[in-house]
Amino acid sequence: MRAARLLLIAAVVSLGTAFAQQGRLEVAIDTAPVGLDPHIVTAFSSFAVIGQIYDGLLEVNAGLELEPALATSWTVSDDGLTYVFQLRDGVTFHNGRAFTADDVVYSFDRIMNPETGSPQASRFNEVASAVATGPLEVTFTLNVPFAPFLSNLTNLTVVPREVVEANGGSLQQVAVGTGPFMLKEIVPDTYVLLVANPNYYRHGEPKVAEVRYNIVPEASTRAAGIRTGTYHIIPDVDPATAETLKNVRGVTLMGVQDLSYTLLGLNVSRAPFNDPRVREAINYAIDRAEIVEAVYFGNAQPGGPLSPGLTAWATDTANFPCYASNPDKARELLAQAGYPNGFHAGLITFGTIQVVSDVAQVLQAQLARAGIVLDVNVAEFGAFVQAWRNSDFDTFVSLNGGATDPDGYLFRTFVTGGSTNVFKFSDPAVDELLQLGRTTTAFEDRVNIYDHLQKRLACTGPISHVAYGTLFSAVTDNVVGFQQLPSRGLRYLREVELR
Amino acid sequence: MFQYTLRRLLDLVFVLLGVSVLVFLMVRFIPGDAVAIMLGANTDITPERVDALRRQIGLDLPVYEQYWNWLTSALRGDLGTSIWTGTPVSQEILARLPATFEITFLALVLALVLSFPLGVLAARARGTSGDVVVRVIAIIGLTLPSFWVGVLLLYFFSIYLPAWPAIGYVPFTSDPWGNLARVALPTVAVSLPMVAGLTRILRSSLLEVLSSDYVRTARAKGVGERGMLYKHALRNAMIPMVTVIGVQLGYLLSGVVVIEQVFAIPGVGRLMVGAINERNYPLLQGVVLIVTGVFVLINLLVDLTYAWIDPRVEYS
Amino acid sequence: MNAKRFFTRLWRNRVGFIGFVVALVVVLAAALGPLIAPYDPLAQSIRERFQGPSGTHLLGTDNFGRDTLSRILYGYRTSVLVSLGAVLIATVVGGGLGLLAAYWGGWRDRLIMRVMDVLLAFPIILLAIAVLAVLGPGSLNTGLAIGIVYTPVFARLARGPALTVLSWDYVAAARALGGGAVRVLSKHVAPNIMAPILVQVTLSLSTAILVEASLSFLGLGTQPPTPSLGLMLSESRGTMLLSPWVSVFSGLAILLASFGFNLFGDGLRDLLDPTLRDV
Repeated sequence: MRAARLLLIAAVVSLGTAFAQQGRLEVAIDTAPVGLDPHIVTAFSSFAVIGQIYDGLLEVNAGLELEPALATSWTVSDDGLTYVFQLRDGVTFHNGRAFTADDVVYSFDRIMNPETGSPQASRFNEVASAVATGPLEVTFTLNVPFAPFLSNLTNLTVVPREVVEANGGSLQQVAVGTGPFMLKEIVPDTYVLLVANPNYYRHGEPKVAEVRYNIVPEASTRAAGIRTGTYHIIPDVDPATAETLKNVRGVTLMGVQDLSYTLLGLNVSRAPFNDPRVREAINYAIDRAEIVEAVYFGNAQPGGPLSPGLTAWATDTANFPCYASNPDKARELLAQAGYPNGFHAGLITFGTIQVVSDVAQVLQAQLARAGIVLDVNVAEFGAFVQAWRNSDFDTFVSLNGGATDPDGYLFRTFVTGGSTNVFKFSDPAVDELLQLGRTTTAFEDRVNIYDHLQKRLACTGPISHVAYGTLFSAVTDNVVGFQQLPSRGLRYLREVELR
Repeated sequence: MFQYTLRRLLDLVFVLLGVSVLVFLMVRFIPGDAVAIMLGANTDITPERVDALRRQIGLDLPVYEQYWNWLTSALRGDLGTSIWTGTPVSQEILARLPATFEITFLALVLALVLSFPLGVLAARARGTSGDVVVRVIAIIGLTLPSFWVGVLLLYFFSIYLPAWPAIGYVPFTSDPWGNLARVALPTVAVSLPMVAGLTRILRSSLLEVLSSDYVRTARAKGVGERGMLYKHALRNAMIPMVTVIGVQLGYLLSGVVVIEQVFAIPGVGRLMVGAINERNYPLLQGVVLIVTGVFVLINLLVDLTYAWIDPRVEYS
Repeated sequence: MNAKRFFTRLWRNRVGFIGFVVALVVVLAAALGPLIAPYDPLAQSIRERFQGPSGTHLLGTDNFGRDTLSRILYGYRTSVLVSLGAVLIATVVGGGLGLLAAYWGGWRDRLIMRVMDVLLAFPIILLAIAVLAVLGPGSLNTGLAIGIVYTPVFARLARGPALTVLSWDYVAAARALGGGAVRVLSKHVAPNIMAPILVQVTLSLSTAILVEASLSFLGLGTQPPTPSLGLMLSESRGTMLLSPWVSVFSGLAILLASFGFNLFGDGLRDLLDPTLRDV
């Protein structure tokens, strides 16, 4: 008997090692990744896949803290202008070549090259140079102290030069990184298949042999698929579907505070939105608690310019007087601005994200109570993007992505001429604070600056921030070790096991 | 008949040419811009970069030049390359055709198999409760949107028959049973309206034929009711059926476009919807041209069959 | 046939009469919706969301607490108007073109029918999307788009039987006597091909509601918050498992409308088609 038990234990142990990378993790996502070039793409669907294949110098963990990835340690000079990174030894790309400091410099140069057209480039505008100061040491020199620099480095994805050059400069269809999984197959509109990287630098990871991203456009189909066990993980479950999956046996619903937010954007180059009193009136007319209930099934927090998830930075909404819903006050402000009977305006939004079009509908009803009549146009997404990009709107409702540093939320959105300042907002005082927030390095001082900014922007800024939802994912019970990240990334699939 | 066929083939060329012009213009009338969408919503792209991309795709040329370039290479079998993936458009379409064709074909077969007995039953039992039942079922089938039926079927199977592989698609050649299990639900969902439509058409045209002069004459001569139905009426009643099948295939394919979204099937429909959303001009043009070409061919076959069944149609 | 005789005959044709009544109810609901709806179809009341049928809300409420009955009544207005408009356009334009093609024959026939083939060749959704893309979204344009999409269907449907009718001796004689296109077609041909056209009209009325649903589903049809039956059905599919009422009732509302139009069309056909009178 005793011998038999020993044998059994031995068998289990050997199973444990022999099948170290076992099983295929089935993930269901709503849209196919549109291109895989980590320096070019912006879509969430692309990052969900790319995040498994490539590494940055640093990465963000579930607590929104920076952790080493390809860089193991770093030092900052006293003037805050020189950063020296020690790089991880023994890392190889999926093609077998060893990773060195030159790859970091090459990747940085590729991002900064205007020919690449990388949306990441503006994050590194304050960097004067990046130099390989050793085989595994990189030195960045900045023009001015730049507080968000480290958090921006999570976007410095390291790619191998020879692969870029062999593919005519584009990485949209190939992917060779240093990450836990390797790209095996893309079947358009069907799936993207990744296999475990046997030489991954974190020993014992990844724990599954394959990850398959199934492209499943309908939310109800993804939900049906997780009920039946066809899929193991659905990241980003919408609030209504989450509600239906709450008490399903064999399925666990996980939620974290989202960094993304729904918003009502106002074009301040058009009347009446050029009048700060009108913008304030709109905030008073909005009942955020009602939206949280109606659209998010209670699973959201009304928030200001920063996510409540950034606990160190976000100013409590109790400090924004206009967040207390008050239609009478709204009418009063409108009357002061010369619109005693309210006004008519257009609102453009899109239908591919349920939360967005729902927020638009509730906002329309709420603003109507204050005399603001919005003509809602639920445009096809392509048309929406174009109107957005060209500032061709009175107002719009959308979902904006977040960041781990306040600068990532605020700078390009509110600075005069900023790349996502489609509102044409311009306020010298805001510009000054935004610059100050970037170049100040002392944490307490920064918190103070961003507190000022949030209070200034919340009520009379070009955006009425609506709510920060709970980001849900659904996971079957045989999945162990999955972590939901507030950034919507799936970086920790490498730690996931299938039982 | 030969001359007629030849002339119709010639017409086909003109139709396809007309289709190509319309497809091309249509795609450009859709608001939104491939370049704007390619570059995504949250980017810091310079106008120079936009222009460079525009040149690369050929969008900087005058429209008629773009059309001419596209048409001439299409005639050489080159439909261009997909903006996103860089793979040849023809290759992408070929990869998607099997799933769409399989479901469309199976749905057509299912519709014919079910509607013939139902239509005959209703016509024979005209005015009785059997007739009413068939007609009511037909109307219900017609009025249920296939995406709704699809979602209902999916919910039902995921809750009560979780072992049934209902989502996705595997090729028949690699897993015959898996293939059939997966296409079964979408096939049923899209064929319902066609079953209903064909049943109604067959019923009414059967009734019409049965009341026509020559059938009345035959009846007066003492030909039995059953013999009448099968020998005389059915063949003539098939004429409107055949005309309608071509039209109905159009509805069927539209249904498949939607149902592919519901069941996550990688077919032409999703390729098309995706291409519209991405403003993937070469891909969209290619898909629409190919799908349309197939349609025109089917319609031609329908017309030829029609001429063959109904000798009264002159070939002039 | 005078009105009294018409209704006597309709009464005798039980199925047709039921259809007539249902269709009348639907059309009346569409016409009188604003007068009889118990609530404003757009009024949200978040506290009352997802309610089942009750004394206060006969058909329950949706995800925003809007009254489902009121939304269905207003939805009929949108959906019935869109469908009727679309089918009217298609019947008049398409049917007319089909008749003319059959009458003229030769190159004009070929030209018309090839243009129709070009239109017919497109999957209907795509053509409708394209037309809406050019016109812009909205209920009115949706009706127009569906009308254009259905036009070739009626042209083909009219032309086939019209060829047959035109080959009949007395029609050929009327034509030889110089009846003129409009006269021959309206007097001799059109009445004789009404049966298949009417069946197609009733079929098209119900499918038009469904196409409107698909277009609304794609965000190109009726714009929220305006209720249309199709929009309600596609909007409620995500919450079907939480509260099936909106989905069920808007589905039933579509069913009712289509049911009425179909049965009425059938009855009408039996009445108007001279060849069927004595069957």
